Parts: sequence; C-alpha cells; structure tokens
Amino acid sequence: MSGSLYLVLSLVAGIATGVLSFGWPVETATERRGAFGPGPAGRGVIGGLLGLGGAATILGAMGLCMFAADAEATEGVLAIGLAAAFGWMFGAAAKAFVDRGDSGGSGFGDSEIRTGAYRLGWYWPWLLLSPTLIILVFFLYWPAIQTFRLSTKLTRLGAPRQGERCLANFSELLVPEPVLVAALPLAAIGLMWGVGLWHRRANPSTWGYSVARTVRPLGIVVLLVALYFIFESQDGGYRQIYLNTLIISVGTVALSMVAGLALAYLTFRRVRGITVYRTLLIWPYAISPPIAGILFFMMFNATGGVVAAVTARWGIDFPDYTQNATLARLTIILASVWKLLGYNLLFFLAGLQTVPRDQIEAAALDGANAWNRFRLIVLPALGPISFFLLITNLTYSFFDVYGTIDFLTKGAPAGATSVAIYEIIRVGVDNGDLGRGAAQSVVLFLAVIGLTAWQFKQSEGRINYGGA
Amino acid sequence: MKRILALLMTMSLLVVACGDSADDGPAATADDPATIEMWIAFSDEDRLGFAQDRAAEFSAEHPEYIVEVTAFDSYNTVFEQAQLAIDEGNPPEIIHFFEAATQEALDAVNADGDPIFTSVTDAIGDRTEILGEPVVLGDVVSAATNYYTIDGELYSMPWNTSSTTMFSNMDILNAAGITEPPATWAEVEAACDAIMALPDAPSEGCITWPNHGWFYEQSLGQMGADLVNNDNGRSDRATEIFLDSPEAVAYVEWWSGLEQAGHYVYTGVQRDWDGTSAAFQAQNVAMLIYSSSDTTALTQAGVDNGFEVRSSYMPYNQDIAYEGNLIGGATLWLANGLSTAEQDGALAFLNFFSNPENAAEWHKLTGYIPITNAAVDMLADEGFYDESPNSAVASEQLDAAANTPAATGALVGNFVAIRDVVTAAVEDILVNDVDVKERMGSAQAEAQQLLDDYNELYAE
Amino acid sequence: MAARDGNDGLSLSVGKPGLIRGRNWPIHVLLWLSMAVILFPMAYAALIATQTNAEVFRFQLTPGSGLSEHFDQVWNDRNIGRFMWNSTVQAVLITVAKTVLSLLAGLAFVYFKFRGKWIVFFFVLITLMMPTEVMILALFRFVSDLGWKDTMAGLVIPFAASATGAFLFRQHFANLPRDLAEASQIDGASPLQFLFRILIPLSWNAIGALAVIQFVFVWNMYLWPVLIISAQEKQVVQVGLQGLQGIETGLTFGPLMLAALLVSIPPILVFIALQKPFMSGFALGADK
Repeated sequence: MSGSLYLVLSLVAGIATGVLSFGWPVETATERRGAFGPGPAGRGVIGGLLGLGGAATILGAMGLCMFAADAEATEGVLAIGLAAAFGWMFGAAAKAFVDRGDSGGSGFGDSEIRTGAYRLGWYWPWLLLSPTLIILVFFLYWPAIQTFRLSTKLTRLGAPRQGERCLANFSELLVPEPVLVAALPLAAIGLMWGVGLWHRRANPSTWGYSVARTVRPLGIVVLLVALYFIFESQDGGYRQIYLNTLIISVGTVALSMVAGLALAYLTFRRVRGITVYRTLLIWPYAISPPIAGILFFMMFNATGGVVAAVTARWGIDFPDYTQNATLARLTIILASVWKLLGYNLLFFLAGLQTVPRDQIEAAALDGANAWNRFRLIVLPALGPISFFLLITNLTYSFFDVYGTIDFLTKGAPAGATSVAIYEIIRVGVDNGDLGRGAAQSVVLFLAVIGLTAWQFKQSEGRINYGGA
Repeated sequence: MKRILALLMTMSLLVVACGDSADDGPAATADDPATIEMWIAFSDEDRLGFAQDRAAEFSAEHPEYIVEVTAFDSYNTVFEQAQLAIDEGNPPEIIHFFEAATQEALDAVNADGDPIFTSVTDAIGDRTEILGEPVVLGDVVSAATNYYTIDGELYSMPWNTSSTTMFSNMDILNAAGITEPPATWAEVEAACDAIMALPDAPSEGCITWPNHGWFYEQSLGQMGADLVNNDNGRSDRATEIFLDSPEAVAYVEWWSGLEQAGHYVYTGVQRDWDGTSAAFQAQNVAMLIYSSSDTTALTQAGVDNGFEVRSSYMPYNQDIAYEGNLIGGATLWLANGLSTAEQDGALAFLNFFSNPENAAEWHKLTGYIPITNAAVDMLADEGFYDESPNSAVASEQLDAAANTPAATGALVGNFVAIRDVVTAAVEDILVNDVDVKERMGSAQAEAQQLLDDYNELYAE
Repeated sequence: MAARDGNDGLSLSVGKPGLIRGRNWPIHVLLWLSMAVILFPMAYAALIATQTNAEVFRFQLTPGSGLSEHFDQVWNDRNIGRFMWNSTVQAVLITVAKTVLSLLAGLAFVYFKFRGKWIVFFFVLITLMMPTEVMILALFRFVSDLGWKDTMAGLVIPFAASATGAFLFRQHFANLPRDLAEASQIDGASPLQFLFRILIPLSWNAIGALAVIQFVFVWNMYLWPVLIISAQEKQVVQVGLQGLQGIETGLTFGPLMLAALLVSIPPILVFIALQKPFMSGFALGADK
C-alpha cells in the first residue's frame, strides 16, 4: 500500500476519533444540548474538524516522513494510530474546555470551602503552587516531551550529529506485516467493546448475558495476546521483552495481591500480640528492590545458596536459575512478591476495616457460607483498595523491579528476564542509543496509560461504597 | 615624540606579555598548582591505590601540579561519564578508555566539532624529556604499539595491557596424567575427556571462561580472520562486519560442542569474570581461560587453596594456522585543547606513570604486562620471571603475534554494543541450544545495523 | 456490637476483629509460619554475612568466622558509611522539600478559589501517570546539561515535588472542619500563618506517613542515582552495593550480605519509629 493511501487513512482516523471524543453525545446529549449551542450533528462536525486538525498537526509536524517512499509499511499503520490519538486528544481537550462551564468546576467543588476561602490577591494560590508546578514542568513534562522527540531520532551521547528516524524506531519493534499490526489490536478492542455492549444491552435473564458477563473481563487477555503477535519475533526482537514483562508483571501482581489478602485475613483478628505479628509481616516493604534481589540471589545461588544446600541434602539437583528461564523469572517474581507483601497487607487491613459488619452478620444469619460472604460482601468492599493496590503493584513490577533484576539476573538467561524498563536502560544507556531507548520508553508509557485507563473503566462499574 | 615612542613600546610589551599568557594559559606554579584530572576505571584498593600513590609522588616531585585520580566502577561507567563530559565540553585531562572504545575516542568531538582527544605522540613531539621525566612512549611493547597506532602514530598512552591466558589447576591435570596444559582445541577436548573420567573429577566441569566478546575476538585473531573490513578498520573506517565468518562459526561451534559434552561450564551470566574465577578457585573446574591481568591474584589463590596454578597460551584451533592473540586492557587518552602548562604536566605524568620502575611494579601487583621493554628487561634482570613463571606468559604470547591486522585487533565503532550482540547470541546458543550458524547470522545482521547507525552519526 | 464467639463456625469474623476462643492455636501456627517465611531471607543473609566463602560453599549452618573481616571490607574499603551519609542527606532533603511543597499545594487547592484551578488540578493529576522511569533518558540528559551531574542538586531537585503528596494533603485538609479557615481569617491571620499555626498541627499523622513513604522511597532509589552519579564519593547506598559483588577476585557473599543488612537498617528504623502515623494517617483515608 502506498504512502498516500496511509495518509488518507490517517486523516480519516483522525476525523473519526475527533467525532467520537467531542461529538459523541452518549447519555448526556439532552443535558448538553442546552449548554452548548449546536445539536449532535453540529457537535459531530466540529468534532470531525478538531480531529482532522489534530491529525494534520502531528503528521505535519513530523513532515509527513512516515509516508515517504522508503518508509516501512508499518510506519504507515503507526501513523494511522498516531493521527487517531491526536484527533481524539484535540476533541477531548475541546470537550473538557467547553463542558467545564456546565457544572461549575465539577467535582472539585466539593473540596472547596466556599465560606472561609481566602480572597486575597489573585497571585496567592499561584505563588503557593509555583514551586510544585515549576518542578513538575521542568522535571516531568519537559523530559516527557523530550522523550517523544528523541524517539524519532538516531542519536548517541557525544556524537557530532543526529539522524532522523521518523517512526522507524517504533516500526522495527513490530512485525513487518502492516495488515497484522493494524488488524490484531483493532480486532481485540472491537471484540472487547462488542462484548461490553452486549453485556450492557442484553436482557439479564438470558444465557447470552451470563456468557457476556463471564467473557467480559477476558477482553484484556485477548488484547494482550493480540499485542503479543504484533511484536517482532526474530532474535533480539521486542516480542521477548513483551513476554517477559507480561509474565513477570502478572505473576508479581497476582501472587502478591492474593498472598497479601490472605495475610490480611490472617492478621485481621483480635489475637494476643497481633500488632506485633502485623509489624513483623509488614516491615519488608522498607527493603529496597536491589536488596530483595541480593537476598534472593543468595538463597538461590547454585553454589552457595540455601536452596542448593537443601536440595543437595535430599539428593535432588536443583537447577541453576541463571540457566533456566522459568526459574529465573520465578525468582524475580518471588523477590518482588516478598517485598510487596507488607505493603499489600497494610492496605488490605485498612480495606477490611471498611467492610460493613452488619451486612456480614445479616448474611450469616441468612445462611450464607464463608465463601459467599467473602465473594459478595468483602470483595466488593475491597474494590477501591484493590484498585489502588493493583496500580501500585503494577507500577512496581514495571519499574521498581529494575533494581531486583540488576542484582539477580541482569536479564539472563539469554534475555528471559529482560523486562521493558531493563531493556530501555540497556539500549539507551549501556549502548548509548538514546533514540531507540526513547522509543521503547514511549511504548512503556503508552502501556502505563492504557492500563490505568482500563483499570479506571473497570473499577467504575465495580466500586461498591456500601456502608462505610 | 619620545614619549609617544615610549608609550608605544610599553604598549607593545604589554600586548606581547598578555598575548603570550592568553595562548599558554597561566603557567603552573607551586603557589597556584594546576590540577590534572585523571579518570580511571579501577576502584579497588590495589589498583586505585597504585594510581593514587603515583599521583601523590608526582605531585610531590612537581609541586606546581596536583594530579587528582577519580575512580569509576567499570570501563563502561568511565566511558558513559566521559561521553557526558564530552557532551558538555568539559572532559578531564586524562581518561582511561578501554581498547574497544578506541574508535569512539578517535571520533569524539565537542560541540564545536573539534576532536576531544589529541595524539600523545603529536603532543610530545621530538622531546625526550618533559619536565624532567624521560619519555617512554617509544619504548612501549610492540603488541600495544600496534593496536593503538592510528595513521602511523601512537595516539594514546598504553597503561594496562593484558592478553588471554589459560590458567590450569596442575594438581587435577597431573592426576589425569597430563603434564602440560593443552595448547590446541583438540588437546583441550582430550584433556577434558581424561579429567572428567577421574573418579573425583571437578564438580562443575572441566573448563570455563567468561562469555565476553574479547575471547571471541581473540579466537578470530588466532585464526587470522578479520572482524571488520578495511584491514580490520585500520586502513580506513570499518563499514562492514563479519560476525558469522567461517572462522567465527567454527569457534562458536567448538565452544557449544564443549558445553554440550559437559566440559565447558557456563555460569549463566554474560561477562561473568567473578563467577568463572570463583569456580576455578574453588577447584570446581580444572582450567580457566581468563585475562592475564589477574595472574598474580590467581596464582596466589592457588597457593591459598593448595593447588598449583600454571599459565599457558590460550588454546588455538589446530586446523588453522596460528596468527596471534590480541591485547586487551586500556590506555590513557590526553584531552585536546589544553594549555601548554597543563598539557606538559599531563604528559610528564603519563611518562612518569609508566617509567620502568612503575611499570614493573604495576606488573608485579596485577599481572598486566610490563608496558615498556625497559620494564621487561628490568624484571628479567631481577629474576622476577624465575620466581613467577606465570607472569611471563602474556608478554611472550603477545610477542609471538604476527603483525597483521587480524592479529592486531579490530577498530570498530559501537564496539560495546556489538560485543553485547555477540555475547547475547552465544548465551542463546549455550542455554537454548539453537543452531549456531543461524543464530550468528541474525547476530551478524544486528551488528551490521549497529555499525551502520554509528557510521551514520560519526563518519564524514 | 458485642464481641462474637467464634465457635459457631464463622471462621473469619470480618469487620470488627472478634475474639476467637479455643481456636487460637491454628491461627498462631499459621502466623508463625508466615512470619518465618517472611523473615527467613533476612535471617539467612545475616548468617551468610558472618561466613567466609569457604564456609558458604560448605553450607555451614552456624555463624562463621568472617564477620569482622567483612565489616572492615564493607565499611573501610568500600566506604559504605559514606554512601549511607549521602543517602541520608538526599532522603532528608527530598522529604522536607516534598512535604513543604505538598502542604503549600494542598493549601492552595482547598482554601482558594481561582480561575484555571481545574487545569492546574489536571496538570498535577496527570503526572501520577507519568513515572520518572519512562522519561529517565531525557531527564538524565536535561539534568546533565544543567551541570548537576554528581551533585546533590541532581539527586534532589527533580524529585522535590509530589503529586501524591499534594493530593494527600488536599484530601486531608478537605476533611477538616470548615470553620477553621473562617476563624483564622477573622483573627486576621495570613494563609501561611493559618498553615503553620493550625493546619500543620492537625496534620502530623499525614506528614508522618508521607515522611515514611518518602524516606523509604528515596533510600531505596536505584535507577536514577546509577545514571546521574558516577563519582564514587557522591554515590548513594543502593548503587554502592553493586561493587560488592566482586570485592575480591571472584564472587564473595559475606560482604555483600553484610552490606545489604547494614544498608537496610535506617529505613527499617524510620519505619518502626513512624509506624503509628504511617499506619493511621495514610492508609485509613476514610476516617481522619
């Protein structure tokens, strides 16, 4: 497919997402109509224009390089995605701007104290906020923007010049088949959305509804599998990194949350000395990731570690974790879980305090067994805390695990424990390839944003604030 | 008229005086000593201590200079930090760069496009003495001179040079009926068969060495195979790399075969200097191919643990004519754009640092070869080599190398990243048993792209 | 809500902790088991810290003979004390900075109405989704360009602001009685005086909690110092541990374990000292 075809597709994608983000009325159309002039059609047109503007801006800013004759086909696909993203952003920003007037500082009003709010010079709040804002701008926003800019270049520290790479740093992470790259994620998202729609619209009594309800959470799995197949699989390809990150993150989060909840249950009772037990179970959270790595390095070391000692005594030959991919990953996961347990325990304890006791007693009286009480009352009550912990644990397994890996396996064996952040540092710092490092950083960034957004959507339906 | 003349004369005198100091910078005096910063990649007590002691001695002899030694954890760290300093246009006067970084050091420019480093030979010129320190540059041993000679002149001052030597646990070898360490690949295999057949064979295996690009390059040098084109990057900038040449594949296949037979022990970590050395010292393996820079320490470890350690040449491929082993180690580079006073001070220190006494002491302390012929002679006269025969092996091996581009070693940009590609490929082969030719083929493609990227940024 | 007797088969009384009579011992066993599992790695490290390599390879079960030698190596040769000092300074500076900046931000968000507040709010909120690590390469370049490589400024200033802290204090202030500000205004106090005299004394729990989190976070920082600090004397603890993996020729376990333990003491101490405010002030947001 030629570059100009991709260009057209990109602009269309931009228009489409602009319409969706700005013009899509959804449930609030009737309320909005009065607030902002044009009806749905008008909003649609404006949304389309905004989307087009967004797409054109980003593609133009990059000089339409991704449609050049020597660009990879997958760059064209990425351009479509980029145009769609910017189209959506322009639309959403405009929408937020336009709609903020409607609810008068929506949502932030409840924390505002209307009486007693200071009415001094206008500069006061800005002065108070300025140190925070300055630091955030210079040390968070600016480097973020720089990262995006660097990702389109070939650049090394100390080199006399820079090279232009357009989206090549990204397209080389993907398989060279544009159709696959375009189709798989869209199909997965479409499937998720479709199932969600079915779930919402179906009659609750039909079997279709229950199927949809069970299948719905699996949507994320479908997406993850789809993503697996769009990454480059050749030696040194990104697919390995993706898989490593997936395995280690899911393993860490799942294990630490389950174990944390179990421990919380265990210690949530008035038993003599329980606070001592709790403290003794929580404090490993203060240990750093590198040290967790060192401790487990010691325990699992094939020549001197306790695991080797114990298995030798029983005559079993415990494999060397540096030679066995599964064991290596497991060791990283165990080290991370050990460290996270205390943190999860603490927050789950707090969460258990918010479980409505009267509901538990009522359920018990009605004959519900422990498992049902747990599933129907305790779990929903733990919703907000679980959401918070999920994000925190995920953040840990994406980023903080770096220290652990650096001391435990250094990405061995043969790259099996090289997760996304590890590869970023290896490529960007050790090899000095800032451009590719930045591109991988952007990918990771998108993953974080995507996961946070997905979690937000999921928890919105699930959080049950009953009682406390 | 007279007054105008006088005024003109005074003014011209002033101009000459001021103009001179603008060119040379402030002359260093004992009251206002110039600081010479030296960044090195050794942070352990012995080697860092050596450098710091020499720095102190020099400063005592030449009070108008203060030499400050800053330590970094590894060559890679010095390299990265130096690149940063270069980026800012503020590098130290002397930087310790390892041999693989030679091309990058040559290519390094500051923001104005001027080279960061200047040729030491150039800076010394015809002088035989600088600030009282005799110039030793011309006396550097041939292997090091060959490697670091660019465009006909020795660009940086070699300091720590080593080669790959094999350390054998003679107690185990003797028990298997072997009296001399094996010299060829076939002999290694035969020796290992004998050793592993012993009833109390070493627990982990027969032989080990770190999975590091250096050993791979050594093997290529032995077989006379160039790593890159243009005479291994020496007659012109390297633009093509031959990672999967027949010789390279032969080496990796031999290595992989040795591992599958249970003779070679892979410790599971790339570039594992610590693990492999520990295995040898614990007598879990019988032979260790390692850097000669640790000869002293390893021989002593043998003494401490009760076994005889003997050094020998790195085993070579008996099917291909032996050309020579390469050097390893690092040199000291001189920053460009220094004032005359600073540069002279730095040069004087560099020559003092490697004068025969210091070079000999450095060799005795570590095992890095004595860098000048004078130092070698001094040690021989002392009878040092009679007491420590292991120490002579590296120098002898290097002397035996042919003066060909292959046996001298390659000059390549992005060498660090390329070495990583090699070690990753080898690890994949050793751990996952993938096909050697195929895996080296994809490594080749990766390395070529890295080289292309480098040349895109650095080549004119 | 009388305490329930657990004998009726409700094995876990959720909500208010209940007394379980007669069924205590399985719980205690489980508790001890969990504790043993959790505490084992550190205990094991402590054992290894005392053993020489030879003893380690022999799988010796009793404390070994190498402790003083290892301590000498770790403290004198490797200068762990220096690293700990650097980390302490860094942790204190960042904690103070973040607390102050967050207090000011919380004050601004809650007690002031101003145009564009919602933009600023979003601006700060979005940074929660922007972990430093994803932009660490660009940040590294920027901070180096500022000339802050190998300086405490480079270690501290990029982390001086905290969105989490700002929201923590915002939430906390919002839960305070509304007439506090009114009363303070009537007294003629400026906002800063209000902050210092009234808000802060009411916020010690939150401040303590934030302090614990920040101290541990900074003390355990690894990736950033690895990049920005290269000079040995300026290095912080976590990175300083790197060199210990090969302090002599070959792997050594003892000094590494000893260093790991020594380095872990300060954050554990801080955690224990500030346990109460941490547990109550941070985790339990519902009840202030």
